Amino acid sequence: MTRTRSQTRTRIAAASTAVAGLLALTACTGAGAAQDGTVNLQMVESLTNPARTELIRELLDEFEAENPGVTVDLVSPPTDQADPKIQQMLQAGTGVDVLEVRDSTVGAFSNNGWLYDLSDDVTGWPGWDDLTDNAQAVTEEDGARYYVPYGFYGLSLFYRTDLVEEAGFDGPPASWEELLEQASAIQDPQQNTYGYAFRGGLNGFGNVVAAIEAYTIDDLDVEDAFRLEDGSTIFAAPEAQDAVDTYFALFEQASPPSAVSWGYPEMVEGFTNGSTAFLLQDPEVIATVAQSTTITEDQWSTAPLLTGPTGKAAQPLATAGWGVAEASEHQEEAIKLVEFLSGAEPATRFAQENSLVPIIDGAGEDPFYSEGPWSSYVTMTEDPDTYVNVVQPRGVSWWTEWGQKADQDVQAVLLGDMTTSELLDSWDAYWTEKYAAEE
Amino acid sequence: MTATTFGSDGARAEQARARRARGGQARAPRERLRRKSFGRRHALTILGFLLPAIVFVCWFTYFPMLQGAHMAFRDWNLWDLTSTPWVGLANFATILSDPVFPVVAGNTAVWVVGSIVPQLVIGFLVALALWRRFRLRGLYQALVFYPWAVSGFLVGMLFRWMFNAEFGVVNDLLMKAGAIEAPLPWLAEPGLAMVAVIMANVWYGVTFFAIMILAALQSVPDEVLEAAAIDGAGTVRRLFSIVIPYIWTTLALTVLLRVIWTFNSPEIIYAMTGGGPAGRTHIITTWMIQYTQQGSYGLASAIGLAVMAVLFVFCAFYLMAMRRVNER
Repeated sequence: MTRTRSQTRTRIAAASTAVAGLLALTACTGAGAAQDGTVNLQMVESLTNPARTELIRELLDEFEAENPGVTVDLVSPPTDQADPKIQQMLQAGTGVDVLEVRDSTVGAFSNNGWLYDLSDDVTGWPGWDDLTDNAQAVTEEDGARYYVPYGFYGLSLFYRTDLVEEAGFDGPPASWEELLEQASAIQDPQQNTYGYAFRGGLNGFGNVVAAIEAYTIDDLDVEDAFRLEDGSTIFAAPEAQDAVDTYFALFEQASPPSAVSWGYPEMVEGFTNGSTAFLLQDPEVIATVAQSTTITEDQWSTAPLLTGPTGKAAQPLATAGWGVAEASEHQEEAIKLVEFLSGAEPATRFAQENSLVPIIDGAGEDPFYSEGPWSSYVTMTEDPDTYVNVVQPRGVSWWTEWGQKADQDVQAVLLGDMTTSELLDSWDAYWTEKYAAEE
Repeated sequence: MTATTFGSDGARAEQARARRARGGQARAPRERLRRKSFGRRHALTILGFLLPAIVFVCWFTYFPMLQGAHMAFRDWNLWDLTSTPWVGLANFATILSDPVFPVVAGNTAVWVVGSIVPQLVIGFLVALALWRRFRLRGLYQALVFYPWAVSGFLVGMLFRWMFNAEFGVVNDLLMKAGAIEAPLPWLAEPGLAMVAVIMANVWYGVTFFAIMILAALQSVPDEVLEAAAIDGAGTVRRLFSIVIPYIWTTLALTVLLRVIWTFNSPEIIYAMTGGGPAGRTHIITTWMIQYTQQGSYGLASAIGLAVMAVLFVFCAFYLMAMRRVNER
């Protein structure tokens, strides 16, 4: 009897181990071709939010309906953890066929050989010529093309029409100098009203650079917008000093003191709750501001990006798109999915519902873009000589390191630990050394 | 029934005598053999049950740990994972020579001490308050212990908004109470930012101390306290002469655990200030996150290993000190 019970226990233990092992194996097995021939693709997004996930799912349902035998599972990690997760999937070589590639991740992903080069495929797509020149050009590097953009993130100035009018101005500011003038006039801390939603926290360096580029636009290398045409960095240009002095004066004269730590959420909240009159942001904020219960539709609008002393602005277009994993076992179907998502109808819908500058030629003529807060984007698109699209070196390996350093320096200036000229010297030295090492 | 089943003392003695009479010498090897074979089967059974857990722990805890340790000695960068050459102690040298290192080390010390001391004191007081029986004590305990169930990152996000100078509830309450005239830039002022993140962490960590200390307090015998009271010992005397010595081990271990966790916890700071303003709340683990975000996994792993070494040394000294106190 004892032996029997003991044997039973041993068998149970062995069975448990086997079941656990099988479960582990099952968990490790990626999706793929089913026995009935159905191909199952795994798609991973990076800039996740619930409404966007729902929209992508709807587009995927359309794709599945058009392509019987192909199903797509959408994986939506939280935004903060998405890129590391995508990286792990790519490194493991399983679990991902189609993925969201950003201009800040494409360098590392392609350098490690994790992305499929789409350049031979895209030119044969019937809808390829529908894409704007920007969309076609922006993802091509050294003859390779690792993703197709789904839209662009560009800056525009959100402003309070009522506050600008009350302060005695005819319209929104067109230049950085005018912004300083208007924001300073509106600033009234006693009434909890501030001129400008200054970004001193995470990614605060971006607007500093945008101002410097506007001041150096005439000599700017538009293909590498941290450099002038003579090869020196933009931070060494004499105009850069004027740019940072004007920009940081916005903090001194026209911003809440706590903006030292303001990141994206605080800036947007400051504008949507009616506390600040001006906000420099991507168009994705349009949808958020439109939902504000504090300011009404006729109290705000957008204006084109601010110009420098020569009347020109540099628009640093940021982008992201869809790519295919090199290790995908179903590349043919994965490429087909990227082609579908880049088609005129899905791409336009995706851009509109995510407040993105569209990739489809002529989509900007849609009434959606020519009215209301979107009209400033049309203005900028129609006047490329004034609003010059520039490419920042966001794909370099040190981009994140640079962002962290630059953010810390911006806060050091705001706290009085560093002067603006020390900041420019430090940034110039940093990029000069990096460029030299690269060359 | 009992005598029949398990045998009386007399019957057991009789059986033993009979065994000896049958020749214990001849029987011993067989018994040893049976015990041995039974033991092996038993061991296999235990091992079989434990194996999934062992595999799980090894695979998900120790393997990543060893892999991380291994990365600390290589140039392991996201930018090019096809080449990760051995660099020996270079990553450690880079970290130690970085001017950020002394800053984050100092901030970490302030963060740990500033968090643990108030957590211990307030947690102790909360536990003492909950020790007494009163109506709805269970509900009150649940409310007090609730923060421990919330993610640290979420706590950081909530406090980020609460400490917002213009829109936050903290300044609003302080101004309504007349404590301040103008909003305090909690997260923008270097000195205040560290105070704000520590306050958030104190709120978060008090619960753990309260739970542990309350559990320990339940073990203090009522009779001893009553006897001390009859002998004339006052509340303070009973607390320091009876209660604290009784729960001393729990207190010491709880402090040790919280020091380790606080040292290792970047989430509240990361969510509230991101280490700012200008690095004033940057601690060693937010520094590690920064390297991870850069893709410099070799450097991040070196920091991770260094943190582990520091905590190991701290634990050793702490436990030795505790042992000496106990011996006294």
